[in-house]
Amino acid sequence: MLAAFAGKCLGRLLLLCLYLSLLGGSPADPAMTMTTQDASSQSQANSLTNMKNGLNESFPEPMATTQIVSWQTQGRPLDPVTLGREVSVPGPNLATKESRQTSNQSVTSVQYELLLPGASDTSVETTISLEKVVEVELTCILDKEYSYLKSFQVTWRRGNETISHTNKTDNSWSIKVSVSDSSKLGSYNCTLKGEKQLSGIFHLQVPKIERKGKPTISYLRDTAVMTCECPGYTAISWTWYMTNGSKQIVINESLLADRYVISKKSASITHLKILKVTKEDGGEYWCEATFELGKSKGRLELKVLSFMVPLKPFIAIVIEVVIFVALIVCYEIYSTKVKHKEAEKEFDQIEHLKSEDGGLESSEARQRRV
Amino acid sequence: MPPPANTRQAPSPPDGGWGWVVVFGAFVSIGFAYAFPKGVAIFFKEIQDFFGTSYSEVAWVSSIMLATTYGAGPISSILVNRYGSRPVVMLGGLLCGIGMVSAAFCTSIMQLYICVGFITGLGLALNLQPSVIMIGKYFLKRRPIANGLAMAGSPVMLCTLAPLNQFLFDSFGWRGSFLILGAILLNCCVAGALFRPIGPGTASVKTQATEEGKGSLKREVTEDAMEMSSPTNLPMKNKTEEEGDRDCCEKINQYLDFSLFKHRGFLIYLIGNVLMFLGFFAPIIFLAPYAKHIGIDEYSAAFLLSILAIVDIVARPTTGIIANSKWVRPRIQYFFSFSIAFNGTCHLLCPLASSYTGLVVYSVFFGLAFGMVCAMLFETLMDLVGAARFTSAVGLVTIAECCTILLGPPIGGTLIDTFGDYKYMFIKCGVVMVLAGTFLFIMNYYNYRMLAKEEKERKAKEEDPKTVKTENEVRNNWIKETTQDGPELEPLREEQEGPKKEVNGIIEV
Repeated sequence: MLAAFAGKCLGRLLLLCLYLSLLGGSPADPAMTMTTQDASSQSQANSLTNMKNGLNESFPEPMATTQIVSWQTQGRPLDPVTLGREVSVPGPNLATKESRQTSNQSVTSVQYELLLPGASDTSVETTISLEKVVEVELTCILDKEYSYLKSFQVTWRRGNETISHTNKTDNSWSIKVSVSDSSKLGSYNCTLKGEKQLSGIFHLQVPKIERKGKPTISYLRDTAVMTCECPGYTAISWTWYMTNGSKQIVINESLLADRYVISKKSASITHLKILKVTKEDGGEYWCEATFELGKSKGRLELKVLSFMVPLKPFIAIVIEVVIFVALIVCYEIYSTKVKHKEAEKEFDQIEHLKSEDGGLESSEARQRRV
Repeated sequence: MPPPANTRQAPSPPDGGWGWVVVFGAFVSIGFAYAFPKGVAIFFKEIQDFFGTSYSEVAWVSSIMLATTYGAGPISSILVNRYGSRPVVMLGGLLCGIGMVSAAFCTSIMQLYICVGFITGLGLALNLQPSVIMIGKYFLKRRPIANGLAMAGSPVMLCTLAPLNQFLFDSFGWRGSFLILGAILLNCCVAGALFRPIGPGTASVKTQATEEGKGSLKREVTEDAMEMSSPTNLPMKNKTEEEGDRDCCEKINQYLDFSLFKHRGFLIYLIGNVLMFLGFFAPIIFLAPYAKHIGIDEYSAAFLLSILAIVDIVARPTTGIIANSKWVRPRIQYFFSFSIAFNGTCHLLCPLASSYTGLVVYSVFFGLAFGMVCAMLFETLMDLVGAARFTSAVGLVTIAECCTILLGPPIGGTLIDTFGDYKYMFIKCGVVMVLAGTFLFIMNYYNYRMLAKEEKERKAKEEDPKTVKTENEVRNNWIKETTQDGPELEPLREEQEGPKKEVNGIIEV
């Protein structure tokens, strides 16, 4: 059974390698890229995490299983790109990333590659969001097209600290970082110095929280619901803060029973419900997600309005409607009166003419008789 | 009292003057009726979070509103037959306003279903049908243009409502937005106030029907005459003998004309349209998700819908003008079936478009075809059954269409979920619409031939002096029948009498 499973995964691996090689050959095509808002890529990422989790649970004994997820992005230099979420921006440079997740007991190893463009003095950046403890291997690859450039001196740096290579080939240089806590997060820089200066930067960070950019609007004595989510990742716990003056107060059990209800819709979505909102409830709120590797915060704003605020435009529009209807009805009454008067005038004229005609006929008859 | 000479001169519908104001009122009314259920979808995400429900439960609000707007058609028809258009539209506007204002104070999703779904939907239904009916009363010669202009209200309102709703939502939240939208919907009352009843006192005296107008009018007159002489009108002959004692079906037919189900043209229209609506709305709903599915970003996908709406706005009045031209007007049914088939062909070709440019081209053609079909939707029904029975016809047609309109998108959704590919949904819609177009084409060809045959028979009868007496009998019964119609039909009855008298006058001379 194990062999069958490994065989299946290897088969998948081969398929994806094939897919990658085809992608590598063709130039950037918008149809090929996975976009930020693409639900399918999200669900893929989700299924991937599920698979990974499943693997961890069902196969506790050490074994090497590989799953490959690949993205192809068109990235301008200095374009942030996150795991599972790519922003497709047309550009001349191609950055290919491969991530191979290998499960070894309970430690996951992830590989990230960055393709360096050949253009001089350019820097390619990528942002990687990590939610769990992983062992990360970062590789900078020089594009085959530019392999004619020789004599490179490659340095890996994080801040001021230099890290030594773990792996080196003709055109790729890698380092291994064991990210066990938040201190290991940061920006890892690989610099190639030679005829040209190229650099690639890996930003390792905790996942960012998605929340509404615009303020939530609520009314007095109504319920207000605010949502925070980090799609694709599992947060260990969520905490909400409210701002009082300049201090941030945790919304915890003491306040919980009273008016605040914190509910967790799923692992990645949280709601804060405030019952019977008052004017003082308006302001800044923070939702904080705790991951293995650190915390991530998101800012929300709550605006509390009284019902008078929408009532004013409402009354204005109602008055406008009443005025228009009254105008139309008055115009109609006026125009029908005018028409009636004209019709009466016409009628009188016709009667007058008829009586004249009658008089003429009788006079004619008299003349004829005579 | 104006002398009878004036009423004899009271012509066919004005075809202008106050009619254009009525077109504007219908523009507003129809625009709200069609665009509002789509526009309100912007609030769904927030409402879903607020009440803690799933997205499909919130989407029911829109479905209920659409279902009620179409399903309450017969109620609308009955009310218009009884009271005339103006009070019904004003009542509709009031209902919409009340529905949305009460929705602003809802505390559960069930209450939203009732307030936004039923009450507002009912109000919109009372708006939609009378607007279309009024156009038929005010226009004859230029009716296709008037219809095209009025139906253009739907995309214009949609383009206005979408950003307006977004702005209201950002400024006032969903409750405040519903309150203000209720006030905006009250403007339907203003549109209703413009629907001046057209009766003997208010009919315009100046316009004389031209040859063309008389010709088409005569055709409609003969159509009605044919219907009068059909066996279903035998109970009416009984009625002429016993004035006070009315038949049961008589009473019902006064409010809602079920005898339409024996009208050949009406049946053709009904079957063709019911079939068409199975594939009509689904592509619009799934265009943006399909674009995102093949890798286009959200804003470009939304832009596709804007392109569609803009082409739609231009296409509708243009179609009205084309349909009014002397080459197309007599054979307008063919034009309608052609546009349905064209629409279907667009959908069949859509899976071939795999890039953004291809989708843009598809959107342009789809917008064009969609506008063409919508502009002539009610015009062709009016053309088939005549203005007199249009009131009941539109009610019966909308309740029949209601089922397929609601079934279309979910069937499309099921196809997409089963096969994981959007192309089967497009193929299904395309096939259904091409079938509907072909069916309508063939059946209308048959209908036109039958009408021509009946016209020939009628002419042959008139030239035969022995049958003049029976002609008078038929005419008397027909006059008695038309007295049942609502107050707005007076000039139509009189003007129909006019040509009849002329014809008889020629024979007697």
